[in-house]
Amino acid sequence: MDCRAALTSIEAKADGLLPREEAAELAGHLAGCPACSAEDAAISATGPVLRALTGIRAMEKAPALDAMWTRVRAGIEESGETRRRSSWIARWAWIPAAVALAVFALLFYPSGTDRAPFHPSSFDVAVEDVESDVATVALVDKGEDLPRVIWIIEDA
Amino acid sequence: MLSAASRKYPGIRAPLLLLLLLLAAVPSEAADTVAVEVGSVYASNEGASIDPALGTIRGKLQSMFNYTSYRMLDRKRRSLSVGEAGEFELPGRRTMRATLLPAQGDKVRLSIRISDGPRNLLTTTLGLRRGGMVLVGGPSHQAGVLILLISAE
Repeated sequence: MDCRAALTSIEAKADGLLPREEAAELAGHLAGCPACSAEDAAISATGPVLRALTGIRAMEKAPALDAMWTRVRAGIEESGETRRRSSWIARWAWIPAAVALAVFALLFYPSGTDRAPFHPSSFDVAVEDVESDVATVALVDKGEDLPRVIWIIEDA
Repeated sequence: MLSAASRKYPGIRAPLLLLLLLLAAVPSEAADTVAVEVGSVYASNEGASIDPALGTIRGKLQSMFNYTSYRMLDRKRRSLSVGEAGEFELPGRRTMRATLLPAQGDKVRLSIRISDGPRNLLTTTLGLRRGGMVLVGGPSHQAGVLILLISAE
């Protein structure tokens, strides 16, 4: 292995991508090449330093991240509360609708002169008594199919 | 169709049910009382028209009387319980007072008094079936006469 190939292998090792056979070959080269060995040591130290730096930055940003998460969680909870409230409204919205229907039915239930035409089911009528102070009254009966008539003949 | 609508809109079931109960309650209330209805018909020989509001009575009127025109002037309805009296205003400042008397089964007994101002035109007691009808006619009105269609349900 020459130094150029060793440098490529060193970078691959730092990235954790170096196959085992090549790692043994690289180790053999590093044992006999102080320059590549120094390069390997420098690159291998870079990873922990970067991780440490990232940790430090994360600690610095932790309060801001906590605050952001608090806001996000509050937003989620508020959204859920709004959904629950709208669900409650949807569940009970029928009450005013039902009251409106009831009032409508009471107000507009057929009454007065706008009802269906007369359809009597029977003309079977018993006239128990009949009298008048100022008129002559006649009882007219023309059969079961026809209504019984009380006819008032007003005296002149 | 209603069930499909109620499946689609579950919230509509309750108001629909309430409305149906309400509509059903009105006739049941009427079952405890008697609805007395009075139709005032103006019969004359002016023209030859018969009011469609008279329903099946149209043919009966034509076969019983010789008038050429029958027009419904007014129609009033009162729900009465036993012992209760209802006042009906009639055309020509006449009035009719109906009192519901005790009766058995589907019979209805009515005490009827028709007045023309202070004059007592007619006092009678009638017994009829629920859904039955009796006619009271004769009082003069304009160029013809009044015929009252008195029914009880």
